[in-house]
Amino acid sequence: METNEFSEPIRQSSKGIIIIFGVNCFQFVKRFFVLFIAFGVSLFRKSSFANLSPTILVLILIGIVLLVFVYAVLKYLNFKFHLVGEDFHLSTGILNKDNTIIPKSKIQNVYIKQNFLQQIINVVSLKIETAGDNKSEIEINALDKPKALRLKKLLFSKRTTDGVGSEVNDEEVDDVFFRASVKRLLLEGISQNHIKSFAIIASFVFGLYYEFEDFLVEFGIGEQIENAVSINEESVSTIMISIIFITIFVLLISMVFSVVRTFIVNFNLEVVEHQKTVEINKGLFNKISLSLTPSRIQNLVIKTNRLKKYLGLYTLSVKQAMTDKKQQKNFVIVALEREQLNYLVNRFLSDYSLIKDKYKPENYYLRILALDMFILTFILHIPAVLVFGYNFWILTLVMLPFMAIYIFMVYRKAYYSVSDNAVTIGSGFIDTTTNILEIHKIQAVKLKQSIFQKRRRIASVVISTASKSVTISYVKEGTAKNIYDYLLFLVESQDRDWM
Amino acid sequence: MDFSNAPIEIENLPKLDDTELKLISRKYLNVIVINTLIVYVVLFSLLISAKLISDDVAIQQYFWYPFFSILGIMLLNIVLVVLAFHKRKYAVRDHDVIYSKGLLVNSVTTVPISRIQHIEASRSWLARQFGLATLNLFTAGESGSDLSIKGLPEVEAKQINDFISGKVNGN
Repeated sequence: METNEFSEPIRQSSKGIIIIFGVNCFQFVKRFFVLFIAFGVSLFRKSSFANLSPTILVLILIGIVLLVFVYAVLKYLNFKFHLVGEDFHLSTGILNKDNTIIPKSKIQNVYIKQNFLQQIINVVSLKIETAGDNKSEIEINALDKPKALRLKKLLFSKRTTDGVGSEVNDEEVDDVFFRASVKRLLLEGISQNHIKSFAIIASFVFGLYYEFEDFLVEFGIGEQIENAVSINEESVSTIMISIIFITIFVLLISMVFSVVRTFIVNFNLEVVEHQKTVEINKGLFNKISLSLTPSRIQNLVIKTNRLKKYLGLYTLSVKQAMTDKKQQKNFVIVALEREQLNYLVNRFLSDYSLIKDKYKPENYYLRILALDMFILTFILHIPAVLVFGYNFWILTLVMLPFMAIYIFMVYRKAYYSVSDNAVTIGSGFIDTTTNILEIHKIQAVKLKQSIFQKRRRIASVVISTASKSVTISYVKEGTAKNIYDYLLFLVESQDRDWM
Repeated sequence: MDFSNAPIEIENLPKLDDTELKLISRKYLNVIVINTLIVYVVLFSLLISAKLISDDVAIQQYFWYPFFSILGIMLLNIVLVVLAFHKRKYAVRDHDVIYSKGLLVNSVTTVPISRIQHIEASRSWLARQFGLATLNLFTAGESGSDLSIKGLPEVEAKQINDFISGKVNGN
């Protein structure tokens, strides 16, 4: 490979100092957040902390900030990288020197990200992910965008011996295939599963409450809340009204939260088609750019729900091999239209034909669902009996239609289909989920059967790929064994690589 | 509702049912039983030492209740373990490895040899006393798709290891 701007060891952009400094300060504050609060509170109360005067405290703080700054400068000075032939070299470390060499062929993925601070000073960070454990990834904090793009291209370019094909520029066939409009993102946010948003908010509030319980008690907020609650305990009707009010309030908050979250995460969502890869760009505060390589894709998950279907909104999650869990959730394209979805699925899975024959699980599945629901209801009744006493039947009354709808919906949405190159499995309760995997990506197949199922000659097939396992549940034993043999036959006879 | 697909005759495919699965070494039952017994020995010794040390009336008076319930659970556990032992079977075919286990929930897992990333034979101290080895097959998939065949005779574990290693590296 001829010399290029990366063939000599270079540092990142000098703006990197600011980024490292910013990130370290942020981490510092985050780690000692509770301490800072305690600090503030006791200053507020006694105008001193651990017998130190405010002046000394400020001096200590300035000292810490200076230390972090010096650390950032040193880290910047000692961070060098370059490309030699087919290897990417990186040396880091202030006292302990680390030298990392990554062969290009081992690079799984290169992401370009831009957090809020990086957006302000106009640099991007480049993340290199390798096959292997989650720790073995490299992040260059500050690069000019064009430079980052050039580096990314060099990292991905394979050494071509014939030299002719290598000059086909990936950039030339750029085609922005899909861009999510603000309107579609809003719709996507509104039609989301708000129960999930509510769970996130609730866990956040509870987490915060436990963290600051002591301070809240000190300020007497707890008492105020209790007073407010005890006033409402006067009559049943007030309780009912306040429950309805709270429910509406919570729903509203969850909805706003969903919309804002969808908007922030997916702002300016773009799907760009290159010759070999598909690129996803998105994010408001944290801009990210990811490349998807069809050969690395293991599973596709399509999600929609009744409302979304009506609005023509589909979500496509792409599961790649060996990406860490945190990154995994970024491989999601929301607000796709039906045709766009079909196009992308076909792009990712070569000749995926639309499923013709859908098969249902056996009726035994209904029984299992009913049993699950029965156990859940039973567990829920234990606190209900304690709280309501003899009036626990109210809960039963509420639960029965819910149980019936759940069993009905889940069974209705469950299906499976096996073609000669892909397995498709449908599931879901409120959401409609479609799991697709290519047969040559299968890593292992498992037949599962409990002793109760053995008597009824029913079994399940669990199919694992490198990124997740899916289950064809509760089919006839003979059918399960046929699928099992058929899948293995295809995997073993084709001799195709899974990656 | 039976599964079928035109070009390939399902009937002619290599069948799971036609493959004869082999039982693992009977000696491994000793290892399992000893391991199970160790847990209960610890439990019993805790219980008995509580009786000997403590002056609490409740422990002295009701000593036999936990004693017999643990004994009962132990017997049940050992019966289950012995019955489940006969479900631990394996087979190595030309292109894949099959392992079946489980009494209450039986599972038969097959990993194609072409998907095996690496293979290792490990031997615990106890297993060594009986001349046994465990064969671990790692795939690229989640932990769910890794196979671990316990209680193989050492010689056989080595043979399978060599056979699979040869195939994996040959590709």
